[in-house]
Amino acid sequence: MPMLEDEIRRLMADETARLHAAPDLLARVMRSHRDRRRKARTAAVVASVAASMAVVVPSFTYLTAAQGPMIDDRSTFSAVPEPPPIDDTPPVPTTPPDLGDLGDGKEFGHVKVGYLPKGLRWSRWSVDLGDSYSTSYNSTGDPEGFYQVQIFVYEEEAVQELDDRIQAYRAEEDGEEVIVGGRSGYLVVQHVGEDGMKGTPTLFLGTGDRQRAEIMFSPGYAKEFSDAEAVDAELKKIGEGLTSTM
Amino acid sequence: MEHDFGAFVATRATSLLRVAYLACGDQTEAEDLLQTALERTYRNWNRVVRHDNPEPYVRRVIVNAAISRARRRAILSIVPMHSPPETSAPTGDPDLRHVLMDALRALPPRQRAVVVLRYWEDLSETQTAEVLGCSVGTVKSQASKAMAKLRSALGWETLEGAIKDAHA
Repeated sequence: MPMLEDEIRRLMADETARLHAAPDLLARVMRSHRDRRRKARTAAVVASVAASMAVVVPSFTYLTAAQGPMIDDRSTFSAVPEPPPIDDTPPVPTTPPDLGDLGDGKEFGHVKVGYLPKGLRWSRWSVDLGDSYSTSYNSTGDPEGFYQVQIFVYEEEAVQELDDRIQAYRAEEDGEEVIVGGRSGYLVVQHVGEDGMKGTPTLFLGTGDRQRAEIMFSPGYAKEFSDAEAVDAELKKIGEGLTSTM
Repeated sequence: MEHDFGAFVATRATSLLRVAYLACGDQTEAEDLLQTALERTYRNWNRVVRHDNPEPYVRRVIVNAAISRARRRAILSIVPMHSPPETSAPTGDPDLRHVLMDALRALPPRQRAVVVLRYWEDLSETQTAEVLGCSVGTVKSQASKAMAKLRSALGWETLEGAIKDAHA
């Protein structure tokens, strides 16, 4: 006699066999992503114009008209029992290039790390994506372990990507402007897959004209501190110690 | 970046859509959950690719978003609550799939997520706890309660009782 668990698996497989992602799902995701970025930029421009000009109405009308019609692209589902246009085969693992042996991890790419919370050391993991790169720190130094502090650096073309993200938070009034070591930054708790959890405390920091840093505490590591203020204080200390070598 | 993300979507979207459907029990919401999760993933792709396989990340977004939405709906009473079947499923029901899906929808969202992660995704109790951000003990107790309800809904209590009687 099959186990109940086996029967549930069989029924679930039967029930979902007809479901296939639509072939244009990727296009919809990308279009929606671009729409969101455009809206954030437009909101920023509107706010900027409203703040700097006495006559707001004509500018606002122009910008609104330029935004174009909103399209609801949520129909990604196809229940027709045709051969799936998207394969359901396991992904081929890819290993992005890394930054090599960073020693104690206190200097990588074009930045130096002057401060880390007590007990943290380089995880021996890094990734080099060209205009952006990152490494992380944890208490074990295990590259397979979860990060506790991670620093992403964005340079040149990638700076715009980060500035867009910060602008999106700013437009939603999520987070706060801060000055760290005389440089402007933005503190925010990012929610990137931790729904139901407390999110990823993050400090975005301008480390140069064409360089930005994103300093993150893992949600689990943040719990080791007494409260959010203590986490923010540590993030700022890391930010203060982070210097550009560009 | 877009190329790698596109390759990921091309290979895993169908599998993720099925997870989303089982987690929320509704086709339209599953498509919305998937698109939302992929948008969020793309926004953070540089971070996500820290892992060789970004699928666990997306799955976590989907499952937790499904739980959050179900809770919000319950609070707002936008949709009527389903009532679990009070009696075992009729013997010989030609469509046990529907019985299972009704029973899954009737489960509290976290219990439903535990069933999907444990028995559809074949995650361990520890992995399930990590996805849901709870303890292994919570996973065990939620799984136990959920399986008791599903056992009853699918008529397995009757079946198991009959087999015991036959062996007695």
